[in-house]
Amino acid sequence: MTESPTDENFTVRHVHPAPRDLVFECLTTPDHLTHFWGPTGTHTPVENIVVDLRPGGAFETTMVSDRGGDTYTMRAVYVEVDAPGYVSWRELDSGVFTEVTFVDLGDGTTEVVTTQRGLPPHMRTPEARAGWGTALQRAATYIAAIAAPEVGS
Amino acid sequence: MALADPTRVAIVARLAGGDATVKELTEPFALTQQAISRHLKVLEEAGLVSRRKAAQARPASLEVDRLVEVLAWVDARRREWVDRHNRLERHLRRLAGGAQAEPGFGGAEHSRRRPGAEHPRRLGGERR
Repeated sequence: MTESPTDENFTVRHVHPAPRDLVFECLTTPDHLTHFWGPTGTHTPVENIVVDLRPGGAFETTMVSDRGGDTYTMRAVYVEVDAPGYVSWRELDSGVFTEVTFVDLGDGTTEVVTTQRGLPPHMRTPEARAGWGTALQRAATYIAAIAAPEVGS
Repeated sequence: MALADPTRVAIVARLAGGDATVKELTEPFALTQQAISRHLKVLEEAGLVSRRKAAQARPASLEVDRLVEVLAWVDARRREWVDRHNRLERHLRRLAGGAQAEPGFGGAEHSRRRPGAEHPRRLGGERR
């Protein structure tokens, strides 16, 4: 499966106050990942992280909810690994493809560009939708905005 | 993504105001019907637009529920990464502020902290 350039969901850019080698290491080492992988409201114990950093190697994280201790496992496989400049992986359930590029800005900082591609899975069950209240609200606002007047192109 | 393209966003916005045929959708754009059809196909494959098979003009309809679902999902995923990078930055500042020049952890450049950099927050701070 390949992604076209227009297949992109979003790109997030962040300049980190550290050299490229270290930033790359942080995103590809369980000992580091456990400190920031999250997502917010969850934590990911180091023993819940599998990193086999090579194309075809596993990248798995089992996140634990801070409240209630529910777990959610993200299972992915690395697609391309080119340390310390690039790494990409594909999630097995959804096929969502994430790529991360590390750019040395030459002053000891590193710009990290994270891009995600692929379609979201259909959320069939009411339970799956339940947790999306706020997100749905935001989306509704966004739709209202794009549906408003001028559509020019 | 289906909505990454400005023309497709415009088509979605147009359909939000009511069903439309390819011909009608083509009018506001400096594009061919063929090009509009291609964009519609992408939206259809994403489940965002449906087309009545029966009618000859096959007007397109917006699948609002699916659109909301997709936008919400994308937005949540994007936020997840924004938050993740914020936490990573705090992690990096903690590393820089703590043990100096650990092997593999950078060096002079890296341990140079900006004056007035806020005190690293505790890890648990952002949870919950």
